Amino acid sequence: MPRKKPRFHSLKKLNVRQNWSRWSLYSLSQLKAPNVTTRTYFQQKWTAKASTRAYHGEHIREKKWKHMFKRNLPAVVAMDHRYLARHDGSEQAAGRGMGADTQEKTRTPPMTPYMQMAYYPLERRLDTAIFRALFASSVRQARQFVVHGLVKVNGKKMPYPGYALNPGDMFQVEPSSVMFATGAPKSRSSTARRVTKEKAAARAEAREQSGGQTPKQPKPDSVISQSAREEPTPAELKKHLQELMEQVDGVLAEDVKAKDKQKFRALRQSVRKAISLWRSANPETISTLDTQFDFLKTQIAGRAAATTPSSPKDIDAAEPLISEEDQARLRSAFDKLKLETEHTSAWNSRNAAAPYATPWRPRDYMSAFAFIPRYLEVNQNICAAVYLRHPVARQGLAEVPTPFHIETGQLAFNWYLRNR
Amino acid sequence: MPSRCAASMPPRLRSSKFSSSTASSPFISCPFVRLHPIAQPVHSSRQFSSTPCQQITLRRRKFYEWLNGPGQQLKEPLPGSTNYLGAYDKYGNLVRAGHGWRREDAKAAAAGQQQKADPEAKAEKPAETPTPAAQESLDELEAAIRSGEAEEEGKTQREEKDDGKLPPETAEDLRPFPLNQYFRSQPVLSEDLREAIFQRVKKDGATVSLASVEFGVSNERVGAVVRLKQMEKEWIAQGKTLALPYSKAVLQMLPTTPHVDSSQAKNKGKRPIQHEPINDLPVHPATHQQLFVPVSESRHYTRVDAGRAFHNSLLPADARIPHPELVQAERELESGLSFEERRRLAEQRFEKQQEGKRKEERRMEAERAKEKVVPRRRWDFVVRDVSVEAAGRDGRGIEASGWRYGFPHQDRKRGIPKIPTRVEA
Repeated sequence: MPRKKPRFHSLKKLNVRQNWSRWSLYSLSQLKAPNVTTRTYFQQKWTAKASTRAYHGEHIREKKWKHMFKRNLPAVVAMDHRYLARHDGSEQAAGRGMGADTQEKTRTPPMTPYMQMAYYPLERRLDTAIFRALFASSVRQARQFVVHGLVKVNGKKMPYPGYALNPGDMFQVEPSSVMFATGAPKSRSSTARRVTKEKAAARAEAREQSGGQTPKQPKPDSVISQSAREEPTPAELKKHLQELMEQVDGVLAEDVKAKDKQKFRALRQSVRKAISLWRSANPETISTLDTQFDFLKTQIAGRAAATTPSSPKDIDAAEPLISEEDQARLRSAFDKLKLETEHTSAWNSRNAAAPYATPWRPRDYMSAFAFIPRYLEVNQNICAAVYLRHPVARQGLAEVPTPFHIETGQLAFNWYLRNR
Repeated sequence: MPSRCAASMPPRLRSSKFSSSTASSPFISCPFVRLHPIAQPVHSSRQFSSTPCQQITLRRRKFYEWLNGPGQQLKEPLPGSTNYLGAYDKYGNLVRAGHGWRREDAKAAAAGQQQKADPEAKAEKPAETPTPAAQESLDELEAAIRSGEAEEEGKTQREEKDDGKLPPETAEDLRPFPLNQYFRSQPVLSEDLREAIFQRVKKDGATVSLASVEFGVSNERVGAVVRLKQMEKEWIAQGKTLALPYSKAVLQMLPTTPHVDSSQAKNKGKRPIQHEPINDLPVHPATHQQLFVPVSESRHYTRVDAGRAFHNSLLPADARIPHPELVQAERELESGLSFEERRRLAEQRFEKQQEGKRKEERRMEAERAKEKVVPRRRWDFVVRDVSVEAAGRDGRGIEASGWRYGFPHQDRKRGIPKIPTRVEA
């Protein structure tokens, strides 16, 4: 009979795991430096390996990790450019070959903790990086996000949790999943139960109406339609501009907090339509609101300037295209658009449909585990992060987050060094 | 198992557990019995014995004792500060806190403020350290305005400001893993610093290395910040929902590097805060071993020679750091060149660098002109010219395109990973 699988969180054998649970926190508080006096070297190494592997990549098979292990550990030294400019290195061989004697004592720099870096290849994995960027509450959850297709690397869906990130790779996780993973869990309420029941009833009704077939979800069309035309004709331009200004009026009359989403959405659409008239405009160049505004301003101004000398009867038509107060109104409408997005994002209200407790709040014990290592640059607003470089050791600091004592790290490193 | 759990816990901690449930009076005395919230589990597998398993319950009791005692402090974030295990002693007392500081008061104050006005609570955190006087007067003003229970809250808040203000974190307080003294939670960029970097690079057109030197942020990080910020702005233009509640909560829990805007009058003469060392020299594997090289005494032995002694292609540190132009500029300053001269030299260098960039761009352009791109809805088809000669004499050349008889694909072989190794940006 095979042995029973040990508990993941056992109070008998305390293991620190890569998650934000209270068991991990408790084990963390009970950790001790290894006993190096009364045990053999092999015993020490074995225990160190076992406890560190329970934390670092416990979901990876031992053989796989052994292949990933590297004995060369990366490190950097912070250099002072002023020192480099003033000395060419020969001063270190001055005197009797050890540098000239000085009156003041030179401070010895702190030790570089190479031995805490044994598990640095694992930090390259996509699931671990997602956990380190605080987008998931455990590595296993991060792995699930990846497998379920909620993670993109450089804008492409990446379903492999073992993908080794390269320096410069950007990964992004679905924000609603991040809020679910890091938010306090939902407790079942009567409202939530009622909402689910209603939804199920509605779905059943829809299925019955369509004759036992699942109805197709309406698809939002957000693709910017590319116009094949070189430049818009003056008449078209005028028409679109009038539309745009009408929308501007509607938006400016609207209070942001009133959240009349239709008017804001209509303005966004008409801005896109106006921009798509120009062939020179591609989605990359006009991706942000600021650039959209600048683009509209310059194009319309250029158009107006080009048309005015050719036909004198167009003057009065070209004049209102870019009048000062129109510009100011357009600007303020754009600002409103920005505000509106921020307002709806920050609106942290009760929402029975959300899979986390609403209003959103961080889950218990999150703050004890909340740190972001320096090899990641994270933007929390869009739940995206960039893997800048591999983790390194520097003087007095190792970038691999490991909860163990440095001697434990050394013993574990030595365990994997054998036969190599 | 070490008996670190508090058998004789100070009463302050135990009362803190109940302060949240009984918000009106935080110092209610509570029965000790409440410390064991777990009922004895029923052991159906030990039906022959009525004695409960002592060992398990002891461990479990200790676990819950710790959670409700020292661990209680870590359950919720400290308002306006980090909250790591390393900041507490084994009894759950915040080491850096003064005598007057009480967590319950801080929490109550923060909660009360949040209920009353959201933006106010946001503004409090940065304003706390530089202008304590203004903050205090504001609190007094508020306390005077409010009445009833609100007045009581203002009092506790003032108390906190008097002697119980939290001092900034030391290196020990930033340790999430108390046993690992070589790891600490390092600050991240604050929101306004990210925005400032983006504006400097995108609007003012500063080069990445210039922005890196100005803000004290490494080259890669500047690039990443610009990329992420650009994406955030695209999201706003598209009207997508940002994860703002999450973002706010996380940045509250982390240490952050603030942005010192030197253009403002109040920051006159202040220098921007160095976020991280920008001139990191990677340790070359060839230098891991110590080397003894006999050299004649008369020889002028420099860094360049030392590098060559380790490895033939190992350059000196001046050439391997990310900002060699800083060393160059410093050297010119040392050699006593006039400002005009130095400026001319710097411009020459810049021109040379730009020329190299343009050349590279032209090369890329030429490469792109060779291939034809057919855009489709999701993926683009790229059509490239291939030569038949690449197949070689036996038709099995590695560079040849297409599938060749008798050659299995690399990813079909055993032991070759199927996971992609790179994703094009």
